[in-house]
Amino acid sequence: MNLQISHEETNGVHYLTLAGEVDAYTAPKLKEMLVPLTEEKNAQIVIDLANIDYMDSTGLGIFVGALKSTKKNDGTLKLRGMTERVKRLFEITGLTEVMDIDNEVKGEAR
Amino acid sequence: MNDRDFIIDRYKDLLTTYLNGKNETALYKGQQFSRKLIEQQISPEDVVSHHINVLNDLFPDMTEEMKDAFDFLLEVMIGYGFAYREHQSLRTRQRQLESEIEVAASMQQTLLISDVPTVDSLDIGVKSVPAKKMNGDYFNFVKDDKSISVAVADIIGKGIPAALCMSMIKYAMDSLPEQRMQPNLLLENLNRVVEQNVHPNMFITMLYGLYDTDVHKFYYAGAGHEPGFFYKAATDEFEDMFAKGLVLGVSRTTKYKEYEKQLGPGDMIILLSDGVTECRTSKGFIEREEIVALIRENMHKPAQEIVDSVFHELERLQEFELRDDFTLIILKRMV
Amino acid sequence: MDIQSCVEVCNEWDIVSARQLGRNMAKELGFGNVDQARITTAISELARNIYLYAGSGKICLEPVEQMGRKGLRIIAVDNGPGIRDIRKVMEDGYTTSGGLGAGLPGVKRLMDEFTIDSTIDSGTEILATKWLR
Repeated sequence: MNLQISHEETNGVHYLTLAGEVDAYTAPKLKEMLVPLTEEKNAQIVIDLANIDYMDSTGLGIFVGALKSTKKNDGTLKLRGMTERVKRLFEITGLTEVMDIDNEVKGEAR
Repeated sequence: MNDRDFIIDRYKDLLTTYLNGKNETALYKGQQFSRKLIEQQISPEDVVSHHINVLNDLFPDMTEEMKDAFDFLLEVMIGYGFAYREHQSLRTRQRQLESEIEVAASMQQTLLISDVPTVDSLDIGVKSVPAKKMNGDYFNFVKDDKSISVAVADIIGKGIPAALCMSMIKYAMDSLPEQRMQPNLLLENLNRVVEQNVHPNMFITMLYGLYDTDVHKFYYAGAGHEPGFFYKAATDEFEDMFAKGLVLGVSRTTKYKEYEKQLGPGDMIILLSDGVTECRTSKGFIEREEIVALIRENMHKPAQEIVDSVFHELERLQEFELRDDFTLIILKRMV
Repeated sequence: MDIQSCVEVCNEWDIVSARQLGRNMAKELGFGNVDQARITTAISELARNIYLYAGSGKICLEPVEQMGRKGLRIIAVDNGPGIRDIRKVMEDGYTTSGGLGAGLPGVKRLMDEFTIDSTIDSGTEILATKWLR
């Protein structure tokens, strides 16, 4: 069980690519990486979840926290490339309604 | 002569006996003696030091190299004792913490325990088991004249933070009696309480429903909770019981929609927490269809026996290691 | 009373020098082998703390006498970052955290008296005394 996070910045947009699992064990690592970005003024963050094959509710909580934090700091947060299992989680919890989620684009449209 | 001096003398006796006879009995006594040393909190370096002193007495012409070698051992044992005692004291502290958690967990149980109501027309079964000591799942029943309300909630995260959050939910719900009859309004009010009081990373999923025992209708609303199942006896089919809605605690102005189901005799409402569907086994996740199959296999039994059987089967599939809190509730219309 | 003897601690070799000094003085004062080893272990831990977390500092040793008792006092002084929460470093388990103040509960157990004084951004002073029995 592990989580890899890669981060690059292009034209002021933070691109995070995650691979592995986001659960109670790996969530702190993601939080540590993501929270400072969401606290920047007008931050634009795009997170690619194409290689996340498992996420639990603690992992989901990190995205909820990040959403609140970007909103507070006038930034944007976009999630993309979810697998079916992860997508289902966002749908059931109703988060698809309040988050910017783009599952059609799978990484190629940069 | 105090205990410590006594122990030094005793050590000398035991060692001398062994040196004279070299028999197993003396060695056995030496082993027993080590317990005494621990009881008296005699450190490893003290033992080595006693040993050296006894040897000096018994063999006055020990070589200098031998003595130096013992000094070296002494130094090593001090370092060993240094780390060992810290380890001991951490274990003691761990035991204290464990017993405190034990107390907190039993308090949680008493605070949150919900009696399962009995009514003639409904057969109700409930199974809620925490993965660790504190349960992050919550369920509650309230019985009124002509209705029974039921809530199932899952607080994200596990353990103590989830348990604390749950107490808040319980008291918030108790303070909203006038909304009890309107599931969507209850969730809207609860959502405001949660939004203002929880950490940004935290949220709660909930399904709240009201069963009207006069007309056998179930009114419900959901806040991002794992969908339950509805079993229709007439067609012998299970269907997902979707109740769309955002989880509690994300946005202050969330509105919820009310849904309803008409129950005929033998129909069942099955509510669960995601610990039931997120069971991981060595072969992967348990799919919702497998849960349905398990319920179907057992549904000739009374409701309580159904939930017990499903739990035991899932526990077995996970090799008796629960990763998530488990809650399963079945309401079955009798007549 | 005798004056203090001090060893500056800047690198790992200085830890050995501090130990050597402590052992010589302890032997001279008449401490037995076990107590000598306890004193040097305490010196080791205090000196390592200085070397690893404070950067530099010194270990001083002085013979002490109080109400007819003789003893040896270790004084560990550094100009490091200081310890914010002394109560926390005095709890067992902090050793494994690898920060300034690691191993202090153990030092306290090895010695008879122990006091610590620390100021944020200006340093830490620890006094530890062992009495002759």
